[in-house]
Amino acid sequence: MRTLALIVLACAADARLHSLRSQTSAQFEGGFSEVTYDGFLSSAAFSLAPTVRWDHPRGRGFIRLRGTYLGFESGRHSLDASLNGSWFTPLARQWRGELGMAAGASQYADIASFSHGQVDARLHRMGRDRGIWLGATLGRSSFGRGARPATVVAMGLWILRGDKTMFASLDRSIVGDTVYTDLRSSGRWSTARLVLEGVLGARVWSRGGGRGVFGEGSATLAVTSNSAVVMSAGRYPTDVVSGSIAGRYVTVALRLGAIGVRKRSPPALPGYAHAGGADGSATLGEMRLEVAVQQDDDVRLTLFAPGATTVDITGDFTNWQPVPLSRNPGAGDAWGGTFRIPRGIHRINVRRDGGPWLAPGGTTHSTDDYDGEVGVFVLP
Amino acid sequence: MIIVALVLAAQVAVQDPRFERLDPDTRLAVVAMIDSARGDGLPVEPLIQRALEGATKGAAGARIVAAVRRLTVDLGTARTALGTNASGPELEAGVAALRAGATPQILTRLRTVRRPPLTMALSVVADLVASGVPADSAAAAVLALAPKARDADLVEFRRAVERDIALGAPPGAATSVRLNAGASDVYSQGAGPGAPQPRAHRP
Repeated sequence: MRTLALIVLACAADARLHSLRSQTSAQFEGGFSEVTYDGFLSSAAFSLAPTVRWDHPRGRGFIRLRGTYLGFESGRHSLDASLNGSWFTPLARQWRGELGMAAGASQYADIASFSHGQVDARLHRMGRDRGIWLGATLGRSSFGRGARPATVVAMGLWILRGDKTMFASLDRSIVGDTVYTDLRSSGRWSTARLVLEGVLGARVWSRGGGRGVFGEGSATLAVTSNSAVVMSAGRYPTDVVSGSIAGRYVTVALRLGAIGVRKRSPPALPGYAHAGGADGSATLGEMRLEVAVQQDDDVRLTLFAPGATTVDITGDFTNWQPVPLSRNPGAGDAWGGTFRIPRGIHRINVRRDGGPWLAPGGTTHSTDDYDGEVGVFVLP
Repeated sequence: MIIVALVLAAQVAVQDPRFERLDPDTRLAVVAMIDSARGDGLPVEPLIQRALEGATKGAAGARIVAAVRRLTVDLGTARTALGTNASGPELEAGVAALRAGATPQILTRLRTVRRPPLTMALSVVADLVASGVPADSAAAAVLALAPKARDADLVEFRRAVERDIALGAPPGAATSVRLNAGASDVYSQGAGPGAPQPRAHRP
């Protein structure tokens, strides 16, 4: 949207485009969606989304306030409110500066709400029908009482060809220790009554941000000067800054109010900053520990070690003395022993057939202080 | 001073035959550190165990001394963050969380939002990080659950996240989804390990 605003600004001499601008406009959108958030079953939902926007008379900036209510068929609902805006400096040769801000909050069910606030700056090199920009964003993203710094560096370009506009951008987001890069391209084609928009992107070089391809498309068909039907569908990635969970959606909506160029926001389920990346797999799948508290501090440790002829165990509950386990009667792969282990956090290593000390599956693997690894488990 | 240290070392060594597994130089240094830690009110059993772990694993004396020193420092950091009333297991779990990437501020915040013992909550933070969840995401999730969730609920939360990760979900996304999916259903109702496994449901 901000890029669209900038394009309008770049084309300020174009009376046709400029005439589309108004100082204050309001829209109300109501629609039905089929949404499938990652990790949830698909659900029908209805949405109510009022938007108020103010534009500088000469296109030097805008402020937009938007709210979204999503009601799911489960009876739960989510609320989202966002405020964003940008202010553009006068054009100096081919350069223009931009200062923007965004803030928002969302809430879903009865869990803690998500909120974010950020400021950003961009430097644009403007042409009449093309432009490039570099930008940086600083802010904070909060879930409940936990706040994390958010930094985004980005660059992009746009090309205007008649009634078609193409965008491409590359941004690197750093939210706490979650980092990822989004490559995004989009296109927009508008006629007097129809606006088609599409986005295709990929999330790459991610630590904690997930990876994959995403894409969205929408069609806005103006019915009258103050109403339009909007159809959209696609898959979008998790937004760590604003806290929306990745998902797929199909939406049909009726938009009332000023009808112009707007990019529809996907129905976003508030979540909290997400992550991804590591495989989390156990490193010793062939030996797995099971812990069973019996009585008092007696704890039965069972180690499954297929094919082993001997199994030893050691840990802070044996004063790190190796203790051989006994093969469980009737269970050839299971070895066991009973130990007095107090409640708390404990460290353990196991070995089979006199081999190296390893962390067994079923424990949390941690590097020890001796160039090896150790298994950690907790007795509650 | 040296004589006092030698005497102390000799006394502790006599009192605790476990130190006989350390060579004399290492024993001297370790016992001195343990005595100092005891004087500072830190739990010493984890320090002894860390030294014994090194002995079992055939580590050089210098490595053992360094490991005990590092653990002493971390226990002190954990106690500063968790308070002087923190128990030994809580401090050990605090060390695990710190080493996983949690900040002392997170430990302090956890202490303010949850009644002790904090051992399980701190361990879940470390476990989630070990599963690939970014440290601040793990901490945020546990902090969000901490005020109401029981220890068993936290364990179940961790298991659910680990299960999702094993099925291919990005760790942080699994944490986020489980947090959202379960917050209003499983965790507030106190489902324990014996309760039915949480399943995907509609939003």
